[in-house]
Amino acid sequence: MTPSALPLRRRVAVLLCWLALVLAAGWQISRTTFTADLSAFLPSDPDPQQRLLIEQLGSGVPARTLLIGIDGADAQVRADASRSLAAKMRASGLFEQVHNGERSDWADVGAWLVEHRYQLSPAVDARRFTVAGLRDAIEETLSLLGTPAGHLLKPLLERDPTGETQRIAESLIPSDAPRSEAGVWASRQGGRALLVASTRAAGSDLDAQSAALDQLREAFAAVAPAGLTLKVSGAPVFAVDSRAQIESEVRWLAIAGTVGVSALLLLAFASLPALGAALLPVGTGVLAGITAVSLGFGGVHGITLGFGATLIGEAVDYAIYFLIQSRRAGWRAWLKSSWPTVRLGLLTSMCGFGALIFSGFPGLAQLGLFTVSGLLGAALATRFVMPVLLPEGSRGQGLRRQLGRLGQAAVDALPRLRWPLLALGVAAAALLAARGELWRADLSSLSPISAEALALDASLRADLSAGDARSLVVVQAADIEGTLQRAEAAAARLEPLIDRGAIGGWDSVTRFLPSLTRQRERLSHLPPAAPLRAALAEATRDGPLRAERLEPFLDDVQRARESSPITLESLRGTALAPLVDALLLQRADGSWVALLPLQPIAGAPIDSAAVARALQGLPGTQLLEIGRALTQLYERYLGEAQAQALLGALGVVAVMALALRSWRRLLAVCQPLLLAVLLTMGALALLQVHLGILHLVGLLLVVAVGSNYALFFNMLQRDGHGDPDMLASLLLANLTTVLSFGLIAMSAIPALSAIGRVVAPGALLALLLSAAFAPRPAAVP
Amino acid sequence: MKTCRAEGSPGLPETRRRLAAVRTVAALVVLAALGLPALAFDLPALAALLAQRKSAETRFTEERTISGLDGPLRSSGTLSFSAPDRFARHTLEPRPESMVVEGNTVSIRRGGRTRQMALDAVPELTALIAAVRGTLTGNAATLQQHFRVQVAGNAALWTLTLVPRDERLAAQVHELQIVGQRGELRTLELSLAGGDRSLMIIEPLPPAPPGSRPPASAPRAGPAAPR
Repeated sequence: MTPSALPLRRRVAVLLCWLALVLAAGWQISRTTFTADLSAFLPSDPDPQQRLLIEQLGSGVPARTLLIGIDGADAQVRADASRSLAAKMRASGLFEQVHNGERSDWADVGAWLVEHRYQLSPAVDARRFTVAGLRDAIEETLSLLGTPAGHLLKPLLERDPTGETQRIAESLIPSDAPRSEAGVWASRQGGRALLVASTRAAGSDLDAQSAALDQLREAFAAVAPAGLTLKVSGAPVFAVDSRAQIESEVRWLAIAGTVGVSALLLLAFASLPALGAALLPVGTGVLAGITAVSLGFGGVHGITLGFGATLIGEAVDYAIYFLIQSRRAGWRAWLKSSWPTVRLGLLTSMCGFGALIFSGFPGLAQLGLFTVSGLLGAALATRFVMPVLLPEGSRGQGLRRQLGRLGQAAVDALPRLRWPLLALGVAAAALLAARGELWRADLSSLSPISAEALALDASLRADLSAGDARSLVVVQAADIEGTLQRAEAAAARLEPLIDRGAIGGWDSVTRFLPSLTRQRERLSHLPPAAPLRAALAEATRDGPLRAERLEPFLDDVQRARESSPITLESLRGTALAPLVDALLLQRADGSWVALLPLQPIAGAPIDSAAVARALQGLPGTQLLEIGRALTQLYERYLGEAQAQALLGALGVVAVMALALRSWRRLLAVCQPLLLAVLLTMGALALLQVHLGILHLVGLLLVVAVGSNYALFFNMLQRDGHGDPDMLASLLLANLTTVLSFGLIAMSAIPALSAIGRVVAPGALLALLLSAAFAPRPAAVP
Repeated sequence: MKTCRAEGSPGLPETRRRLAAVRTVAALVVLAALGLPALAFDLPALAALLAQRKSAETRFTEERTISGLDGPLRSSGTLSFSAPDRFARHTLEPRPESMVVEGNTVSIRRGGRTRQMALDAVPELTALIAAVRGTLTGNAATLQQHFRVQVAGNAALWTLTLVPRDERLAAQVHELQIVGQRGELRTLELSLAGGDRSLMIIEPLPPAPPGSRPPASAPRAGPAAPR
């Protein structure tokens, strides 16, 4: 035991303390839920518009809807497979609705509509059952008889001569429905049968979604003959697949990062104990990060975890500094000479990422908290646990000497490149200024969904004419009756827009569930038997349809007068329930929301300005365009992140200014960082990369990591000796950082690869530039 | 050929028609000489005849006989067509109504309300529109895709009978029969399920007043607006 070692009791106490903390963290992590949806990237404090958007994305029907395509073979084979698949899915009980274009889907609904036609028909008003109204209505019904469409109406003629059923059916015709081929939905290009299904389970229940998808694939395998392939898309697929992808990527990145960094460390130290010791702060940091996020947010997003892999490369730096730098004079000397610099670097890094914690978006806040606590954990483990385990650093030599020599050669050579590097920096700045529109990209750049999956989704959506289901009118009120009344008022304003060509049509729950007021009003217009009989006799005089045939009509009207109103409860369990659930939602606070999706005119976008104008003045009524709202959300998100990154960078500079207490030295430290950021951004601009939020986070990381290098070089030159060991440690620390971020740059998850592609080259640049722009020893007394 | 050219400036369809007549006569003479049965007037010949017309404006009167009703239902209005795919039926009496088909979009206006729908979402409608558009454009392939086709008569007076191949449509429409003279449609008769029938009589619109048409759009097809 060396004289500098701590007493045994102290050492045991430190290790026990550390172990207890690690166990506590492990326990907390074991209780943590991990999510992989877009929720982390939606604001935690939304405005009313955003709240609607989040509800739609998170729990609305879109989050439970699967788009299904069957490719291959010929139309008849596909149609048969579509029918068998739909039957199997319906039988499984996992799906609330399965539609494939078969007409039998609607048989039950049709009977129900006929039965309730006098409560539902928009044509029922005070004039409808007068002599003139009856004559008009009968004439209109007759105008369809003797045409091919009349064949559906004729059986109902005696019960419904005024054509209420036809009036309701007409309002239900979608303006843009999928093509029908061999009796089922098919794509317009041909070659694909189509189905739409919604799962019974909530969109957020990923295990249940995953089970439903498995069931779907099994059912397809059981019914489909060879030569057919199944294509599935929709929010549940994205959620389940990205969870699986994030899980496997995180595992892969963690393994590859650990193996790569370990290999580097082994090369450098040629010592297994050194390797083990170096990985200890890393593990501690990752555990600390996950625990902090779990405690702070009640759950951890998969992307945050994937980001954890980058922490390996960062946190291992502290261990490397310790292992190499304490070798010469022991840990006490390291604490005196190097720890202040490491601590300052830690503070600057924490400052940089601390700014993100206050982001209004849980995803960014998680990244910030994760990094801050991870770095703190790693640094504290290095400061307190490493001296206990390896008080004299690592004895192993490995390639350290060569690294040191390489570092020395670079330190000697690089300053000569100052002017060319400065010129490059100016050129990069000019390029960036000339490029202008630098920050582009959208919210989808944050999601782990591949371009291929998005393309399949877009093609299925286009086939199903489900593309613009993303414009809807949202109506809200405290109770269900108020909501339905407001939806009726909104629908009345939308109807004239169809004629004006602003929209192709609209859907509303009030077509099946009118407000009680409206139902009572309609029924109040139904006359008693005697006056109706007299009016009917008068209205049909001299016409081709004799009143004697219409006894069933008189009976139905009398029965309707006594019918009980349609309520949400009376619709439960009917074939209409899923439709109603899709269009009418109850919030957690008990208030109600009705959705009126707008249909475009085929081939033209919805005239949203006209819709917004038409809805003006209606209380609790808004137009929500999901695509536009998402873009606005991302813009707000980007603006906020830019402000925070700027604040973070300023924080880094402020901490360094306080520590260095010299404008000249501060400038010397900031210069390489600024240049590294400029050159990295310039290179990205040259490669035509659209910069998004995660590139921004990457740049912040470059500043945070780079400040450590700059500070070390600054310290190195101030102390006047170019210590080869110090240089070796810096070089090794940089290599591990570049390696782990390089791995992440190869990730298939766009969010991670964006960060990796910025930090890997940025960190390398930061080191080289720090060496190049370090104050010359000669200039220091 | 030379004789046609020498006759001043007849419209191109007129030229073709005469040429066809000359050929028919020549063919008949040859066939008679050989003692073979006369070559039937078939679908390709009819299609070729119909394909010459690129647009048409006609008026119609329709009489529908429905079982269970006391008398026939009558209506009248106009039909218009312009190649390749626009077809409109405007009913003026007894109630104004319209159906306009363009490409894959159907707009129906009844009782002051407009509804749009995708044509190919309703296979029965697809087939019916194919019958109308296929006949108007002389597209034999479209007709044969949706119907079993029979052609009888000759170019001067022909009958085109279409029996739906689609089972669902066949359950509603047993048969369509179109009678025409050369490139013009004269009647369209629908035999519907349950014995209902609809007979549409098509007549050319009175000639448009001179100058009401863009002048440079020649050669405009003759049949709908003769001379």
